[in-house]
Amino acid sequence: MDFKLSKEQRDIIRAAAEFAKGEFTERALEFDRSETFDLDLWRAACELGFVGTFISEDYGGAGLGFFEHCLITEEFWAVDPGIGQAVLSTTFGAELIQLFASEEQKHTVLPALVEGQAIIATAITEPEAGSDTSRAASTAVKDGEGWVLNGSKIFTTNGTLAQWVLVFALTDPDNDNRHARHSFFLVPAGSEGLEANKLTGKLGIRASDTAELAFNEVKLDADALVGSEGQGFNQLMAFFNRTRLHICAQAVGLTRAALEESVRHVKGRVQFGQPLAQFQATQFKIAEMATNMRAARNLYYEAAWLVDQGKVDHGLIAMAKWFSAQNAVRAADEALQMHGGYGYFDEYRVQRLYRDAKILEIYEGTKEVEKIIVAGTVLG
Amino acid sequence: MSGVLVIAEHRQGELREATLEALGAALELAPQTGRQVVTAVLADDPQALAGPLMGRTHGLRLMAHPDLTAFNPEMYLPVLEDAIAAAEPGLILMPHSSQGMDLAPALAGRLGLPLVTDCIGLTYQDGALTAQRQVYGGKVSETLVLKPASMYVCTLQGGAFEAPETSAVDTAGEEITLTELSPAHARRFVEYVAGALEDVDIAAADILVSVGRGIGGPENVPLAEELADALGATVSCSRPVADVGWLPKSRQVGTSGKTVRPKVYLALGISGAFQHQAGMKNSGTIIAVNKDPRAPIFAVAHYGLVADLFEVLPKLKDKLAG
Amino acid sequence: MDILVLVKNVPEVAEADLEIEDNQIDLEDLVMGINEWDNYAVEEAVRLAEASGGGVTVMTLGDEEAEDVLRRGLAMGAGRAMHLCDEEFEGSDPATLARAFAAAIGDESYDLILCGVQSSDLGQASTGVLLAQVLNLPFATMAIGIETGEAEITVTRELEANTSERVVLPLPALVTVQSGINQPRYVSIMGIRKVRKMTIGLFEADDLGLDEDQVGEEASQVAGRALALPEVGEGAEMLNGSLDEICGRAVEIIREKGGLS
Repeated sequence: MDFKLSKEQRDIIRAAAEFAKGEFTERALEFDRSETFDLDLWRAACELGFVGTFISEDYGGAGLGFFEHCLITEEFWAVDPGIGQAVLSTTFGAELIQLFASEEQKHTVLPALVEGQAIIATAITEPEAGSDTSRAASTAVKDGEGWVLNGSKIFTTNGTLAQWVLVFALTDPDNDNRHARHSFFLVPAGSEGLEANKLTGKLGIRASDTAELAFNEVKLDADALVGSEGQGFNQLMAFFNRTRLHICAQAVGLTRAALEESVRHVKGRVQFGQPLAQFQATQFKIAEMATNMRAARNLYYEAAWLVDQGKVDHGLIAMAKWFSAQNAVRAADEALQMHGGYGYFDEYRVQRLYRDAKILEIYEGTKEVEKIIVAGTVLG
Repeated sequence: MSGVLVIAEHRQGELREATLEALGAALELAPQTGRQVVTAVLADDPQALAGPLMGRTHGLRLMAHPDLTAFNPEMYLPVLEDAIAAAEPGLILMPHSSQGMDLAPALAGRLGLPLVTDCIGLTYQDGALTAQRQVYGGKVSETLVLKPASMYVCTLQGGAFEAPETSAVDTAGEEITLTELSPAHARRFVEYVAGALEDVDIAAADILVSVGRGIGGPENVPLAEELADALGATVSCSRPVADVGWLPKSRQVGTSGKTVRPKVYLALGISGAFQHQAGMKNSGTIIAVNKDPRAPIFAVAHYGLVADLFEVLPKLKDKLAG
Repeated sequence: MDILVLVKNVPEVAEADLEIEDNQIDLEDLVMGINEWDNYAVEEAVRLAEASGGGVTVMTLGDEEAEDVLRRGLAMGAGRAMHLCDEEFEGSDPATLARAFAAAIGDESYDLILCGVQSSDLGQASTGVLLAQVLNLPFATMAIGIETGEAEITVTRELEANTSERVVLPLPALVTVQSGINQPRYVSIMGIRKVRKMTIGLFEADDLGLDEDQVGEEASQVAGRALALPEVGEGAEMLNGSLDEICGRAVEIIREKGGLS
């Protein structure tokens, strides 16, 4: 048992924190208000090697673990969730490519993601298929050697920015096993019949691009299929078992930001003749936030470390995702409460944290879905 | 132990104010050392610089050579070595300035003398020197008791000591024309460069709204500008803000920037490193806003607000409008 | 151009509540990091070496944790690191440190030695120039610009009152670097991974041929040292009350003292 981070891991944390503090702080409010992002920040992060660290050296990555990717994620989110998401979501799909795609697909896609030449999106959710992903109704039908794709996707991160979209589609709708009906396809963004529209009006992480996609008779080559036909659902679960780790790190980063803002505020703000920090009600809130943050971090540290050791603990990952996300939402709520009226305005960072937090309990597995998974591993 | 030697500082034909502060310290220490204060002026025409020194030092040692026009430690060192050998002072004092930072460690290193820099207080007792300093960005005070020695080199923080009256003592001068300097190394002075072109002269403002690192980023500078507009004031800043370019260098208050004396100096999110204090502490009224109740700025401020500047800024604007 | 940079691991104190125990500040809860001025010095060294060819060595004196600042220097582009690490060094004053650094440099010849102007903890602004004296090198402090020439450099020194001067130094030389001279780069993941394959030379006082009485408190010119926290808000009248009240009072003061009606 050893709870110490390696020197290299500590260096990574420090480097990520310095970059984020130096580059994100000044832009966060602007991006949040305008629902835009400056891709130069993403390119700068790529140049410094912060993007796609979990990608193998064979494909231009740093060959580090998901754990290290999580460390970077936590630091970025601790400075600004929206920009953190805009920068690091650009590889959302690379986890799946690395696990299941052909060598050719890997060599085409992965180095470009690391170098800041391309962004990948993964399109899973549909208007009628949210948590119940196996109901996804977009279809890919064999057409000679290739495939024809039809249907629509919603809430696709980086849908309008991506050069490639990983699409989760029905290939065997009549299979008795509902987990054998889908396959993943790697679709170039410029494909004819593919249309992407940016969705605006998000509550939080507004620097991050979200789109709806429509596929109208999109013709795909045979080699667009990722892995084996009918393996889509299993691939998706394996994919989520990596990406959910990142959500935990996002949540802990956000919680930390909420805690930092709270501590700063309650030490400085004087009411009824003394700093808020002197009131026991405040002290309890701070104590709870700090404790829950450490607990959430330990959960995801263990879950991510295990994945890097080759042991994917589905239940533990779900525990970490549910707990850390719920904890982030609560921490942001308490932080705003402690700020009182000031926290209600967007000039104060806690307002943004409050809005940014909620998505953590929704995307890549709602807290309800995570609890079902946990219960399943406990009850059998 | 005998006497105090002060090394005068001058630039572009003018004696630097900090020299007089060093004389203030030296005259306070002279009784403790039992001897007199001698001031060494190394210049092309030291006599021309001697005016402000009269009545403020017992002895004046005016050393003239054309190569002493601009400061150059390599020219100063051999000359000073001779002066020190002649005067045998117990203490050698100079300002903790760009010149003192060059010269004091070089002199101490070359002669193997104990060195204390950036002192805000000095006492001499039983052959040993005790120095007061500020450390950790001014958040901690340090008292150093030095081992007994026959001679010490000290540099003094700007503003820590007061210039003496012009008739404090009787001054006797001695002029020495140097024939040859023998520098150990060929360091060469080329030229002075004036600072960047100035958009406004912060030294001319009656009220300054001054921002520090606490302002967070350039996007928040307009908040300070709005307040300044409402007050008919000018926006200035501390070094870190100018270093990262949130405001131009010409707005910087402090030793490497400008010295200001407005009627009101409003310090927002400025911790108050001594380099900053040196540039503003003679302002008429200083009001400091800082979240950290231990921020050194409160030591020089007349009024202090322990508060978040982002809460204070809009509030002040409201109050002014109301 | 082969360049040596001296770096120091210091606590970040700007927003910290400091406590003093046994005449030392309590470092337990403080984040340590490279001294700000040294970071500029490393960046300047890496740029000069990149432009002229040659290597950068970073050197520190400090406890085991101080290795962090060496790894940072390596990640920023230095090729070699030396760590002077020995309890015997504790209590050394700048002159003693300078002798230790000189001993570690030994016969190695650097074209340029860079240091930060001062450290943010003790702020003595002495070690660099003292080292120049031990090594008998020309020097300049407060550099806000360094241009290289044929066997010489031109250093722009920051003076007081928004003025600077340009001086020429023959090489080899020692220069202390002022903050703001450049925009230090961010540490990259590639840089960090490069460090994995490097070894950091570790030196104790013995290895440098320094006896006990040549290092630490014994060699230092300081007999005693006391630290204290200044009184809170010494000098200032602290305004108390609600935000509304204190801001109201502040506006009254500004109006009255600033001559506004």
